[in-house]
Amino acid sequence: MKKPNIWAWFILVIGLIYFFLPLFSVFEFSLRMIKGTYSFEAYRVAFTDPAFFSHFGYSLLWALLTISVSLLLVVPTAYWVHWRLPRVRPVIEFITLMPFVVPAVVLTFGLIRLYAQPPILLIGSPVLLIAGYVVLSFPYMFRAVDTGLRAMDVRTLTEAALSMGAGWGTILAKVIFPNLRVAILSGIFLTFAIVMGEFTFASLLSWPAFGPYMEEIGAMRAYTPQAMAVISFLLTWASIGLFQWIGRGAPGQEQVAGAH
Amino acid sequence: MAFLEINNISKSFASTVAVQDFDLQVERGELVSFLGPSGCGKTTTLRLVAGFETTTQGKIIVKGEDITNKPPNQRNVGMVFQAYALFPNMTVGGNIGFGMKVNKRPQEEIQARVDELLELIAMPGLANRYPHQLSGGQQQRVALARALALNPEVLLLDEPLSALDAKIRVVLRGEIRAIQQKLGITAIYVTHDQEEALSLSDRVVVMHQGRIEQVGPPFEIYNFPKTEFVANFVGTLNAYNAKVLDNQRNVLSIEGQDIQTAQTLGAYKNGDRVMIAIRPERLSFADGQKKVNNLACTVEEVTFLGSIVRVQVRTGEKTLYVDTFNNPYLELPRVGETKQLTFSREAVLILHP
Amino acid sequence: MGNNPVLEEKILTKRESKKGSAQPARSPRFDFNWAWLGVAPFFLFALAFLFLPSFSIVVRSFQGVDGSFTFKNIIAILTESDIINAYQASLSISVITAIGGGFFGFLLAYAVILGGMPRGMRTFMVTFSGVASNFAGVPLAFAFIATMGNAGLITRWIEAIFEINVRQMGFSIYTIWGLSIVYMYFQFPLMVLIMAPALDGLRREWREACENLGGSAWQYWRYVAFPILLPSILGTMILLFGNAFGAYATAYAFSGSFINLVTILIGAQIQGDVLYNPGLGNALALGMIIIMSVCMFGYAYMQRKTSRWVR
Repeated sequence: MKKPNIWAWFILVIGLIYFFLPLFSVFEFSLRMIKGTYSFEAYRVAFTDPAFFSHFGYSLLWALLTISVSLLLVVPTAYWVHWRLPRVRPVIEFITLMPFVVPAVVLTFGLIRLYAQPPILLIGSPVLLIAGYVVLSFPYMFRAVDTGLRAMDVRTLTEAALSMGAGWGTILAKVIFPNLRVAILSGIFLTFAIVMGEFTFASLLSWPAFGPYMEEIGAMRAYTPQAMAVISFLLTWASIGLFQWIGRGAPGQEQVAGAH
Repeated sequence: MAFLEINNISKSFASTVAVQDFDLQVERGELVSFLGPSGCGKTTTLRLVAGFETTTQGKIIVKGEDITNKPPNQRNVGMVFQAYALFPNMTVGGNIGFGMKVNKRPQEEIQARVDELLELIAMPGLANRYPHQLSGGQQQRVALARALALNPEVLLLDEPLSALDAKIRVVLRGEIRAIQQKLGITAIYVTHDQEEALSLSDRVVVMHQGRIEQVGPPFEIYNFPKTEFVANFVGTLNAYNAKVLDNQRNVLSIEGQDIQTAQTLGAYKNGDRVMIAIRPERLSFADGQKKVNNLACTVEEVTFLGSIVRVQVRTGEKTLYVDTFNNPYLELPRVGETKQLTFSREAVLILHP
Repeated sequence: MGNNPVLEEKILTKRESKKGSAQPARSPRFDFNWAWLGVAPFFLFALAFLFLPSFSIVVRSFQGVDGSFTFKNIIAILTESDIINAYQASLSISVITAIGGGFFGFLLAYAVILGGMPRGMRTFMVTFSGVASNFAGVPLAFAFIATMGNAGLITRWIEAIFEINVRQMGFSIYTIWGLSIVYMYFQFPLMVLIMAPALDGLRREWREACENLGGSAWQYWRYVAFPILLPSILGTMILLFGNAFGAYATAYAFSGSFINLVTILIGAQIQGDVLYNPGLGNALALGMIIIMSVCMFGYAYMQRKTSRWVR
């Protein structure tokens, strides 16, 4: 058990090949835009396409909105539950895990059927899109914030602050939030990674975003979509990498995966 | 030849020496405890006997057979772990019978042995419970039964009670001792709790920084500690740096006052500095009847500990503790009061550095 | 951990005292109604965008075109061959990738955690698994098309080495097996992510206790380690099953509608009018919700078993 084991290395190498071969392939493919030579031409083309920036910009906007709404909903709720309604915590946790029960396609289907016809018409604004993304972010956001809160003994801290005469604003801003920074950042990076590449909601609700854009030009052109896949991977790598780096050492930060 | 011989073993990890020149002979049916602070090498020594670590040097011999290089699963020594280490996926019966099962004994024999052991640990009828349904004390009893199931030559206990509440600890240590004596099994008991070691062992091995400091019966370890470390670690202690005045008549000087000891000072020259120790309960306030040794002191603090009252006094530069039995009709010393301390010759212990 | 008896007690006594008399002097700190107000936004949001849509799917599954109650839709998804085929395809791909991903993921986690690897390799593997398990959808599909598609790297290598034309041999990656290979990319890292802490949770003392009682390394795995890990392994495989079952983007970008999965059918329902019957789409979605619920219950059950054993 102490010495490196041949079989362990064998499995690891197989795993690494499986992991890296597709990445290498798509990267190699993206370099072959100019016949007979490797070049970054595809990347140049991708980056000079104004549509790329507008779609990427839309995705950024959706990510920003999603993160804001998700934080506003999850952080106060999680805090409140820890401090005043610990009985309700399992219920909240159950709700945040619902995206695993109701896959994105099914949820979109239900949302459209419910809100795209009278009496309620929400289809003209991105409300449904953001709502869908927020639901999608619940498991990650709640888990991160919940572990953060659990690690700091909310009741004692809040009661101590109250007994010293602090108001609610002060408690949240000076006591709870600084202790939750790592947890919140983790939630933000994960949500960001998910929303930036998301396809299902954006495509089915017909909103411009990076994911559907990639799919669209993938059907029309070669090389540039592959270049974008590489960019997208780097983006995921960066946000998850940051998430792991920030959350290192913090207990219980392992994540659950979403529906793809 | 002793039943279990640990011959001069040493164990070093990468750069640190965990155990050095450990030499001990254990007789059949004896319970020996290894006592010391954490990191003193007591657990490492135990794990060497169990075979979980390999010795860097030295030999371990059980009943005349050298087991130094045997793998742990062929040694037939039973081990009780600190945090129970019961298999969570097996019932109590499954845990106790596990050793017999992997040794391919017939099912009826296992069943009978499990019942017998459950009787021994006073938990009859609980064979079908799972560890997570038991209290800590019960889990540790099951762990003991599991370790005894194969009739091991030696039973090893690695701080078995440290995860339990104080009350259960006292009850369980009595039970462990009773079972050990009933079965006449040879046992090594590792602990950092001096009270535990003193109360249940035939002999205590006090360890410090990988070495043996002193070996002896509990009575001897407590009353005649040989080194400052032992005196300090086992019980509370008042230590003094004293000067030898007369090595023939055993007279020393502390704080400018002469005191006599019952121990001989023949090994020292007049004028040598030695460490001496006096247990708090050997000191008393002189109320008329004086003993050989006397010291003037001022009362600094009085702490009521229930059965005893601990008085902190000052003599010159030094702070001392004096323990007296609680007596509701006796007047307690008052803070600031000047008193005479008195103690016998026998109370003065000479420590080796 | 979730229950706090002290606070519960306070809330209970408050509720009782409120019933008894309207005391104006009571402190607002333990006002029961107030506390519930704090979680109202969250519950309202969940109601509007999670429960109502799901519930409406259930209701509409039993409605005909005119809105009347009917079992027609349910009967249709149980009898119509297109739909049965879609469920079969979705179920097979989920089973294949759950078992395959579970198996290889476990081996990889074992290799990294207990295989005597350097510490850095383990950190790298866990981080990378975090990325890979989230790297799905369109870019993943592109990556695999570039690997084993018609002009893919592997395809070209094989054609160059064996001097054959894979395409003309009728070989296609746009099948259930091809898609399974793609899905495995996010399935088995997920297994690694969940199994790594579980393998870490195997206590050294268990192995030592087993050795001490005469057990061999094989007996340790057979009687102790494997049974302890089994609920986690099964639970995670159920999770993988659900993960594959609900996947849409990857399949859509990879094979368009070559492979008719349930999710692809539902997506088509949203975008157009393939089945001409909205009730049928609802019933399709209902089937998914039911299967996913069963998965979650299975997973929760296994989790409970593990958490009882390993603390």
